[in-house]
Amino acid sequence: MAAKIFPVIKLATKVTLAGGALYVAHDSGLLGTSKQGFEALERARAAIPPAMEEWMKYFGLEAQLPAVPKVEFSPVQAWNSGVRTSISALSEAPRKASEYSTRGLQYVKDLAK
Amino acid sequence: MSEKELGQKWDRCLADGVIKLGTGLGLGIVFSVVFFKRRTWPITLGSGMGLGMAYANCQTDLRLHYLVPKKQWLIHSNHI
Repeated sequence: MAAKIFPVIKLATKVTLAGGALYVAHDSGLLGTSKQGFEALERARAAIPPAMEEWMKYFGLEAQLPAVPKVEFSPVQAWNSGVRTSISALSEAPRKASEYSTRGLQYVKDLAK
Repeated sequence: MSEKELGQKWDRCLADGVIKLGTGLGLGIVFSVVFFKRRTWPITLGSGMGLGMAYANCQTDLRLHYLVPKKQWLIHSNHI
């Protein structure tokens, strides 16, 4: 009797686990529109630091681990600044190349005198 | 569409892509472990589906600005 029921229970557990994961993903807006996905990301970013602090307090780790320094770094600003610098360097490159080659030639001429 | 609006749409697209890829990966791992004896293909399929959903959402979002509502089109073309 038990041998017959066990595979059924096993299958039911697996279906519950997988179905539950799918339901949670759908319910929290992870599988919806881009607006819902963006909101879910913002909610996660707001919820993670207090949750981390809570867990560290619970395990008594707050005294042992050093505080995470707040880094003022924006990937978007860094990328945009990189693009601006690169394009500006590319636009200046012909003029600079001509200037440096003129200077180099002048230096060699001076050495030859 | 203004540049600011376009920038915001792209930000949403990227964030949504990350979310959907992660969700697809996670669900793929769950299904792989639970049903498919830890094979790789459910994970790959889940990640691919997530990326595909993000791409479709992004495409809809970017095209939305240029779609004309039916009533407005009918008025404009003097059908109403």
